[in-house]
Amino acid sequence: MATLTESRKQSLRRALEAIVGKSAVLSDREELMVYESDGLTLFRALADFVAFPTSTEQVSALVKLASQEGLPFVARGAGTGLSGGCLPSEGGLVIALSRMTRILEVDYDNHLAVVEPGLVNLHLSWAVGPRGFYYAPDPSSQQACTIGGNIANNSGGPHTLKYGVTTNHVLGLEVVLPDGEVVWLGAKTREPQGYDLTGIFVGSEGTFGIATKIVVRLLRKPQAVKTVLAVFDEINRASEAVSAIIARGLVPAALEMIDQVTIQAVEDAFGCGYPRDAAAALLIELDGLAAGMEAQAAGVVAACMEAGAREVRTAKDEAERQLLWKGRKSAFGSYGRVSPAYMVMDGVIPRTKLPYVLRRVNEIVAAHGLRVGNVFHAGDGNLHPNILYDPRRPGEEARVVQAGAEILKVCAEVGGSISGEHGIGLEKMDYMPFIFSPADLATMHRVKEAFNPRGLCNPGKIFPTKKSCVEVGPGYRPHPIEEKGLAQRF
Amino acid sequence: MQSALLDQVRGIVGSEYVLTGVALSPYVLEGRTPGAAVFPGSVEEVGALLALASEEGIAVTPWGGGTKIAVGAPPKRLELVLGLRRLNRLLEHEPGDLTATAQGGITLDALESQLASRGQWLSLDPPFGEQATLGGILATNASGPRRHLYGTARDLLIGVMVVAADGSLVKGGGKVVKNVAGYDLPKLYIGSFGTLGVIVEATLKLRPLPDDDRLVVTSFERLKDCGQAVRLVLGSDLIPSAVDLLDGEALRGLGLADGGSAGGALLLGFDGMREQVEWQCEEAKRLLAGAVAQRVLEGGQRDSAWRLVREVGRRAFPDPAAQLRLAVLPTQVTEVIEQAGAVAQRSGLRAAFAAHAAVGIVTAVLAGGRDSAQPVIAALREWRELVRAAGGHAVLERAPLAVKEQVAVWDPPGPALRIMERIKTQLDPKGILNPGRFVGGI
Ligand SMILES: Cc1cc2nc3c(=O)[nH]c(=O)nc-3n(C[C@H](O)[C@H](O)[C@H](O)COP(=O)(O)OP(=O)(O)OC[C@H]3O[C@@H](n4cnc5c(N)ncnc54)[C@H](O)[C@@H]3O)c2cc1C
Repeated sequence: MATLTESRKQSLRRALEAIVGKSAVLSDREELMVYESDGLTLFRALADFVAFPTSTEQVSALVKLASQEGLPFVARGAGTGLSGGCLPSEGGLVIALSRMTRILEVDYDNHLAVVEPGLVNLHLSWAVGPRGFYYAPDPSSQQACTIGGNIANNSGGPHTLKYGVTTNHVLGLEVVLPDGEVVWLGAKTREPQGYDLTGIFVGSEGTFGIATKIVVRLLRKPQAVKTVLAVFDEINRASEAVSAIIARGLVPAALEMIDQVTIQAVEDAFGCGYPRDAAAALLIELDGLAAGMEAQAAGVVAACMEAGAREVRTAKDEAERQLLWKGRKSAFGSYGRVSPAYMVMDGVIPRTKLPYVLRRVNEIVAAHGLRVGNVFHAGDGNLHPNILYDPRRPGEEARVVQAGAEILKVCAEVGGSISGEHGIGLEKMDYMPFIFSPADLATMHRVKEAFNPRGLCNPGKIFPTKKSCVEVGPGYRPHPIEEKGLAQRF
Repeated sequence: MQSALLDQVRGIVGSEYVLTGVALSPYVLEGRTPGAAVFPGSVEEVGALLALASEEGIAVTPWGGGTKIAVGAPPKRLELVLGLRRLNRLLEHEPGDLTATAQGGITLDALESQLASRGQWLSLDPPFGEQATLGGILATNASGPRRHLYGTARDLLIGVMVVAADGSLVKGGGKVVKNVAGYDLPKLYIGSFGTLGVIVEATLKLRPLPDDDRLVVTSFERLKDCGQAVRLVLGSDLIPSAVDLLDGEALRGLGLADGGSAGGALLLGFDGMREQVEWQCEEAKRLLAGAVAQRVLEGGQRDSAWRLVREVGRRAFPDPAAQLRLAVLPTQVTEVIEQAGAVAQRSGLRAAFAAHAAVGIVTAVLAGGRDSAQPVIAALREWRELVRAAGGHAVLERAPLAVKEQVAVWDPPGPALRIMERIKTQLDPKGILNPGRFVGGI
């Protein structure tokens, strides 16, 4: 933000260096530009400083300094967020947690671990894997995103249908409050007394303070896994199969849908063996006890056949399973082959409304002269329409944004939500009234006042604000981790 | 309560739904009688009552089935009891979405029986389901044995409608199973003991009813062996829905002992498809071969055994003196029980313990000391101390007023209290909702 005078900037820089050391502060424009966006490159905002603390004490000292100086500050994990959550929308200080990556404790007997916020999600499962454990929340960005970022966004993933999202796996947090004080919310033990501050902190998108230690639950790996691909000639039948599976009392670990646009893109790009002419495919994974697994798989197959599946394949071994998942997982990378750019939407609907809403999504996108690929968590009704477009064509990006808003409106109308996992951030502030009344929003705001009364901690997010100096589009770029082929965007 | 005010209250709900005078005896709390008890028939009436209360500064105590109303510090003020029992409808149940929305005053059993008629259930099993209301269960974060696999209210509640202190209607969350729009307000109301708002509606995730459901009771000579058995189970491929542990005293008090003098028992719940349940029962038998006895219960026998276990606080002894709920790490459970048992013995009291062993939640019941409250007070203080030393925490869930005056109901809350107090001030600025009963005097 241009409002800092040069001399104030100098003195602030010295103060920051005194806390984290000279090599852990950035203030040159060129260097700061690396931190001006997250995974949603539509928005950009430049910080005055980026600092890289290595301990709770340093985070606390940084926050105290910012608070004394009236400097806005925001935590940043890996910057893979898809709603602009970690952008310094009013300038100020970015507190980057990428140097706080330790696993502090693993207690296998009590099925828990204590980690620092900058730890990459997948690295935890890697660390505990040899002992037969894993950390369940599995966002597709898990090779890059941090557990701190997951906490802030209450992130989900394909397997959250059965195992729940981040909040279901967090027991306690050490937090630096927006005035710099360090407190514990929750604990390693269950039922901490008082209000569930851990529960309200998770999903608060970095507006309640900065998590510096996180106590997570670890799960034991399941005894058996079974993966099924069901192919449909009509997308409605695939949607019906989703309900039919649930109606049989089966709760798959994952239940993902891939539509024709996506199947064709995947086949063009990678050739995973999905039938090109199919209207949709469902990827269904069951896990748990070996006993009963065959019967459950038979139930899934029968439900799909009754709903009118053309073909159902069951992976016979791990290699076949990986191949089936490859199609799902390479969906993102494949859009790049068929379109110069795309924007991922994130909405939720009751799963029984799938046929109607998918039809409406296609109509809306077509009315704007655009194309859409759908690949999403059908089991929880969490849609991810990916609108394909060309940012070089004038006005096209604006039409994408408009179509996105209309899709979210439909989600709201059928009793759904405007975000299932990516959060509100900067992107959806103006859509909050689609699902919340002024009284609902006022209540949220009061809770924010309790944590963050001066509003310096991650300002300009979730609730509409006028003060923001965020630049908006055009300028889609794939996230670096996508370019490296490390992740997909849903 | 002033008669003009009472008239206003009657005007809102109709006089047949307002109790005063001797009719208030069921609503006496810690020796205090409220000014009136009122039973609104709609969300709008709840709103009007709270708007009035907030304007007049009247303290309001939301009241569901009353099964946990005794939990909490003695109220600072007890004026208007707000009974929710007329808000007792299941509003929506869409089996294909595995969700349901119900009013806060519906009893758990009434809700479950309606859900069951369409093959589903709400996987919460706190005690006294015939009386406990959904709103009360959420407000007290009540749970039961099956929390082991299916979690607690915070894992199941996806949306909540609350009448705020000023009478306005506030919604948190939504009706879909996955939702990160805005703050996760439902979490705030769970376990808030009626101090932030009155829960009038809740939307919850459901599960399909299992085909088969069995309870494996395995008795061991020593309590320690039970602890070892828990570790074996948790390290195996078994996926029990419940892992409860009873000490010898609880086992005998509940009439679940297989004769002899078992030092404790492990209760494993297995539900799901028949094939899964059968395999797990066999595997449990193999794994726990060192036990003195093992029984597999089904049907009515299973249900009544679980009921006894859930209600251990009232059933372990004919005359329980106090009940403490402790939380420790799962691996500390048997040791803490042994230590606490020794404390009771030294004080000339009897104690029984039941634990959700794999999550470290222990219900500790104390009996005896009828002549004087002193030994009970001393034992409870020592229990608290040893739980604190183990890094855990404890709530005094039930005790006579004389004991509560000497032993704090809640632990000292620590530095996060500051945030809790601010939340309370933000959401209930006049402090009319259940004043004084919660953590830190909130
Ligand atoms: C290719 C791709 C695929 C994705 N797939 C998924 C998916 O499957 N499911 C899903 O849910 N999301 C997905 N996302 C979104 C994103 O990865 C998640 O939101 C992730 O949790 C963000 O983590 P991060 O470390 O990158 O956080 P950042 O983007 O750096 O920050 C996100 C938010 O967290 C806050 N924050 C970060 N650290 C802390 C902390 N320690 N304390 C408090 N606040 C903090 C920030 O201020 C910001 O508000 C995907 C993104 C990409 C680019």
